Amino acid sequence: MTFLEKSNWVALIVAVPTLLVYLALVVPQVLGKPIAEVSWVQPMTFTIVAFIVANILGSIVAAALNPGEAPKKDQRDREIDHYGERVGNWLIIAGSIAALVLAMAMADQFWIANAIFLGGLAGALVSSVTKIAAYHGPFQTW
Amino acid sequence: MVKPTLVTNSIRSLRFANDEMTQADLADRVGVTRQTIIAIEQGRYSPTLEVAFRIARVFRVPLDEVFKYADEQG
Repeated sequence: MTFLEKSNWVALIVAVPTLLVYLALVVPQVLGKPIAEVSWVQPMTFTIVAFIVANILGSIVAAALNPGEAPKKDQRDREIDHYGERVGNWLIIAGSIAALVLAMAMADQFWIANAIFLGGLAGALVSSVTKIAAYHGPFQTW
Repeated sequence: MVKPTLVTNSIRSLRFANDEMTQADLADRVGVTRQTIIAIEQGRYSPTLEVAFRIARVFRVPLDEVFKYADEQG
């Protein structure tokens, strides 16, 4: 397994619990009280910081376990990386468009922030899954 | 989403004909990862023209002895 594939496994393993923790903290509140009273800024900030820190630590551990492998990156790695990012970016764009529409409709800032946040997290998740699938299946850029 | 490649190759037999060269040795000499050599060998990835020429140069054979393009079906 190349270092880049390991990094994508780390991102995937980190993104799923991160998303679940955020949903566990926020969804019960959304169901139980008015949106204006939902405490979402702290859970979202915590989730974003935890996601970034866990990704960095995971990549450091992956590099430390196979020190000779980390700098190796070839044409196929770059093509898979670009392909996965392109697929993930569609979800980030979808989240941004949803946020734009919500802002135009004067929706509560909770919904606007969550559209951007969930679009970004879903984009990262799908990007990682796409790259891992490309590493294991047939992959051509043409 | 991803089309299967029509490019076939004889890297595996060429490796064995060259003192049973390992995939790792070939990867080092071509300048790619071992995983990329495995993917090329199994037909899961078509290399760039430059990598294809580097592979042929390692085996000291013309490019079309390493890679062939199958006739399109249907």
